[in-house]
Amino acid sequence: MEKKFEIKDLITVGVFSALYSIVMFAVACLGFIPILMVFMPLLCPLVAAIPLMLYFSKIKHFGMITITGTLIGILMFIIGHPYPILIFCIGAGLLTEVVLKMGNYQSIKHCVAASAVFSLWFLGMVIAFFFSFRDAYFASILDGYGQEYVDAMKSYTPTWVFFAMIIMCLVGGTVGGLLGAKVLKKHFRKAGMA
Amino acid sequence: MEIGVCSNKNGAFIKLDPRSKLLLLITISIIMIGARTVEVEGVLRLICAAIPLVLLLSIREYKASFIYLLLLGSALICEKHIAPYTHGICNIVLMMICGLITRFVAGYMMGWYTVKSTSVSEFITAMERMHCPSFISIPMSVMFRYFPTLSEEYKSINDAKRMRELGHPFSQPLTYIEYILVPLMMSTVRIADELSAASLSKGLSAGEKRTHICEVSIRPLDVFAITGTMVMFVLFLVY
Repeated sequence: MEKKFEIKDLITVGVFSALYSIVMFAVACLGFIPILMVFMPLLCPLVAAIPLMLYFSKIKHFGMITITGTLIGILMFIIGHPYPILIFCIGAGLLTEVVLKMGNYQSIKHCVAASAVFSLWFLGMVIAFFFSFRDAYFASILDGYGQEYVDAMKSYTPTWVFFAMIIMCLVGGTVGGLLGAKVLKKHFRKAGMA
Repeated sequence: MEIGVCSNKNGAFIKLDPRSKLLLLITISIIMIGARTVEVEGVLRLICAAIPLVLLLSIREYKASFIYLLLLGSALICEKHIAPYTHGICNIVLMMICGLITRFVAGYMMGWYTVKSTSVSEFITAMERMHCPSFISIPMSVMFRYFPTLSEEYKSINDAKRMRELGHPFSQPLTYIEYILVPLMMSTVRIADELSAASLSKGLSAGEKRTHICEVSIRPLDVFAITGTMVMFVLFLVY
């Protein structure tokens, strides 16, 4: 940490984390439609990256985006996602920090890349379907959801889907970041807010 | 939403410490999502579902508790008695919706209760007692306080947008997103500025130790709640 944090920065972190997670939830509600469920890692970052880009334009210090990641992790953990989400969120926050730092917190290109990297935390939400978590997770939902549901979910999520989801996150984040840059240019530069 | 110095003026008859509220919240979420529906874990789920109801009633949120009861009840009935007789895509959709409701709604209600019944001052004091660093506790309290504001802002923006007959969510989703998101982002920037001005005038950035007048302490009821959650957690892990 080069410069000391001011209260102003902390408030910016809080407000924008709230906006980001609300947008995320709003889009994730579309996941009730079964076909869209699979494309959530693409859609969520796509829309949520727009406020994220505005947030990036406000970031001047090292550490702010890591705090956002941590906060989102805590929020997700509190509402009941399993613990790997914390690791994913903090990890994505730190990685994003590095990308932003490379662009010295000013370059638009690095911001777009950073929004792609930050959306990787989303993988923490779906990790339960894959790898070593898979069997335990499906066993735990078996009597609640019924055999038919479990079989269907199993057939939707072979291991390659996880890697497809990584790509979807990155693509969603990048396209969303570009969209966000456009929105910033159209609405916020003129008003002197970005 | 009123932001008082202390939250006990609305006459709640169960007063809990913010720390035990957080512990309850985490336990309820974990058990509601992780536990199976039979045997001991079934009983645990029932207890966990009942806690937010009692707490909501205790702060006189009758409407919210009624909605909660209705939602949970209908989802449970649907899950047990309707969904097993359906097949194919219908079964998956029903199971997913009911499963989400029965698993998440208790946690959400507990979260809502926590936000509703805790003032910012109490929350920050409790976080200080837990030795949580200020760079986590301040953004966190700002965030939780900003959620209700955000929904108010959204309502006003949506009204203004509808008055001009712009961007229907289904026929023009892109316009809809732009016309909602851009004003929301603008108001977010403005509110962030206003809040930092307010914090400056409160002297939050002075670096002195924060003082407060609200009573935040572990009372007998909190001890009961904390031991209760511990017992439930151990039971959950053993079975």
